[in-house]
Amino acid sequence: MAIEKNYYTIDPEGKLQCMKCGVLLEKGKAKFMYLDNGFPVELPVCPVCGFVYVPEELALGKVASVERALEDK
Amino acid sequence: MSQIEERGSTHVYKVNRISKEEIDSMVERCVYEEPPFCNAACPLKLDTRAMLKAAGSGDLKKALQVYEKAAPFPLILSTGCEAPCEAKCRLCEVGDGIDIRNIEKAIARYGQQTRLGSIFRTKKKKTVAIFGSGLFPLFLAGELEKKAYPITVFCEQETLEAFLHCETPFLDTDAFSLELKRLKGKDIQFVFGCTITSSFLEEKRTAFDVLCASGSVFQQLYPEAAFLPELMICEAAQLVTCREEGVMAAAFGAKKAALTVDRLAQNLDPRNMRGSEGACESRLYTDLSEAILLKRIPENGQGYSAEEAVAEAKRCIQCHCEECMKSCAYLRHYKKYPGLLSKEIYNNTQIIMGDHQLNKPMNACSLCGQCTVVCPNGFDMAHVCHIARQNMVSTDKMPLAPHEFALLDLYFSNGDAFLARPQPGFDTCRYVFFPGCQASAIAPETVKAAYLDLCSRLEGGVALMLGCCGAICDWAGRYEMTGRTEEFIDREMSKLGNPIVIAGCPTCAKELKSHEEISVRGIWDVLLELGLPEGGYGLDRPVAVHDSCGARGDAETQKAIRTIAEELGCTVIETPYSGDRSPCCGYGGLTAYANREVAAEMTEQCLKRSEAPYLSYCMACRDRFARQGRESRHILELVYGTDAGSPPDISEKRRNRLTLKNDLLRELWLEEPMEMKLDYQLNYTEEARRLMDERMILTDDVIDVMNFYRETGEAVYDSESGLLIARNRVGNATFWIKFIRESENSYTVHGAYSHRMNVVKRQG
Ligand code: SF4
Ligand code: SF4
Ligand code: SF4
Ligand SMILES: [Zn+2]
Repeated sequence: MAIEKNYYTIDPEGKLQCMKCGVLLEKGKAKFMYLDNGFPVELPVCPVCGFVYVPEELALGKVASVERALEDK
Repeated sequence: MSQIEERGSTHVYKVNRISKEEIDSMVERCVYEEPPFCNAACPLKLDTRAMLKAAGSGDLKKALQVYEKAAPFPLILSTGCEAPCEAKCRLCEVGDGIDIRNIEKAIARYGQQTRLGSIFRTKKKKTVAIFGSGLFPLFLAGELEKKAYPITVFCEQETLEAFLHCETPFLDTDAFSLELKRLKGKDIQFVFGCTITSSFLEEKRTAFDVLCASGSVFQQLYPEAAFLPELMICEAAQLVTCREEGVMAAAFGAKKAALTVDRLAQNLDPRNMRGSEGACESRLYTDLSEAILLKRIPENGQGYSAEEAVAEAKRCIQCHCEECMKSCAYLRHYKKYPGLLSKEIYNNTQIIMGDHQLNKPMNACSLCGQCTVVCPNGFDMAHVCHIARQNMVSTDKMPLAPHEFALLDLYFSNGDAFLARPQPGFDTCRYVFFPGCQASAIAPETVKAAYLDLCSRLEGGVALMLGCCGAICDWAGRYEMTGRTEEFIDREMSKLGNPIVIAGCPTCAKELKSHEEISVRGIWDVLLELGLPEGGYGLDRPVAVHDSCGARGDAETQKAIRTIAEELGCTVIETPYSGDRSPCCGYGGLTAYANREVAAEMTEQCLKRSEAPYLSYCMACRDRFARQGRESRHILELVYGTDAGSPPDISEKRRNRLTLKNDLLRELWLEEPMEMKLDYQLNYTEEARRLMDERMILTDDVIDVMNFYRETGEAVYDSESGLLIARNRVGNATFWIKFIRESENSYTVHGAYSHRMNVVKRQG
């Protein structure tokens, strides 16, 4: 079995709750997509409804810098 | 339309909006890389400027290294050279030119030599023989030794001293022994005591690849043979040689001859690939306005001491063309002069796959046109950057991110906030007031006052058009969108009866003038004609007028503004770089959106010119100066006795436009505007407001997210901060709002952020 590459992993550590479903978010599989590129990541995801949470630090840090790099490709 | 399509990652290769030839001829204009005048006048192409720079800083060793590149025997050259460079020194025009030759002498004497022989270098395979003695053979041997050819000199003299002395009787004892030492340090073979005859020479032909001879050997052995002075060759005798033996003639001849030898040794035609040889004319521009009229350091016939040489070299002003760099913060930021930058930006547009590293610089120019005015050759960097942007757009390689906010703002101005109405009581009008999108956003009260004034004092009706002239999409290089905006405005104008536009902004005036059907005047002209209305005021302190990029080359507008200011009782101060030379405030060309850092440097440079309050006639300038805490007014604020106060944030700018439109609709046209009312309450913490402004997130974006949250109930509760976090994808970005639910219908926003990447759940 091939080892899956994840560009980023964030564990919610039981601190985040999905308001709609009333359950805790879990570390789950997600994907960032931009300008026809995709990046597998592991983010806090609601196991029931599938809400994917992108924390502020990630959005303003890594995500922003990858965006800039892809924009200038 | 409220969304702009993001580009994909598969690029099309469509139109090339600028040809290689065109860009080359543009690059040509920039004289930054031209040699300084002293250097151009030197047949040996000595880098005089670099040499004097090193010498002026006291580093004679480094100065000597530079000098030796042109002169293998620097003392001989500096003693015998006629110094054509000196007459061409630019300082001659304002006083004493630099005493280059005496500096060179001192450098040759006091600068230590670094390279002690070249024994460790790998030698070339091809060998060279030189027959005879004199300056030409000596210099040629020196040049070829630099090129690492194995050289053998055949001469009549019995010793190296005699060989060197025969042609350098002008050297004093010290200089002679220094040059002798230098000669001994070079890797040159000597065969002394030769009698050079034809048969002697022919005999060596088999042993060496290239044969060279002094002028006298050549004359003696081949008195009738033709000689090509450009190549320093007698083709009949297959001999590299010379005709004249003066110091400069020999040195220059040796340079040309060494190149010929180099080509022959590689079996190449010596006529080709020679580059530029000898003295040339320079097109360099040097500003002499700050050159200090200093006298030459006197020289007493004994040559300069090391200290004197350093002092004299210090006087060199290091001729460079820096007119554009001095005046443009953008060029200084990227530390590249326009010739080079243009080349790189052009190449950037030609990349299909791979990184476009010049996107940022290309989008950071404010397209202000200042460089074209200050450059002695009229270099038009704005044109290069503008065309490059269009090219990136046409090949679908232009990222949307740097300009999207501004483009959406244009959609807003020409959508929800757009208004076009004839003056109440008229079907069509003689005039239409077009204040510009920034004026309505920043000073709505002033716009209203101006409109009411124009209506009351002009005959034939004054319509009102609140919207964006299209400069925004034009600056972004979105030419199709610009075309659509133009058509839209034309349509609206024709509904109003194609009135004469009274523009409130010089950039709008310029933009609208490019429409065929539209004739444009500035409100400043109209006001001067009508006379200023009652109620205006001047400032009690002197004001610095900041000229708008939109009014560059428009002396009448620049003058009109000053006249109005003075009529209002202002004392106007002129700052450096005013009028046509005015720098951009940082808003132009969308720099403020695409590159905030450069935009901030532009604003700072504008404000550095004076401590006084700034008076501008473009609302964007007014806004950027006020944001930096400077007292800043638009001329119309003074004319109409209004004060737009402290600058609005990005959401307030939008709201101001809408409110102005709705107020006017109600008051003048007696229409009840459609207004969106929220059925819940949204409050913001101060921190949230600050973050939103910094991150370009509008209250409208927040409302989009909150509406979505109220519909779906989708949110995350963060037990650490106690905040709820909801999100929605709006257009090309996902917005996240952190908030507290105060009650069923009331929320307090604590933070906001966004990203452009789309995120989805992954299966398996
Ligand atoms: S002012 Fe600037 S663009 Fe013009 S020639 Fe000089 S270096 Fe080049
Ligand atoms: S001032 Fe200096 S760089 Fe300029 S021409 Fe004279 S010697 Fe050359
Ligand atoms: S910002 Fe203005 S002065 Fe500077 S390069 Fe661009 S157009 Fe020229
Ligand atoms: Zn859920």
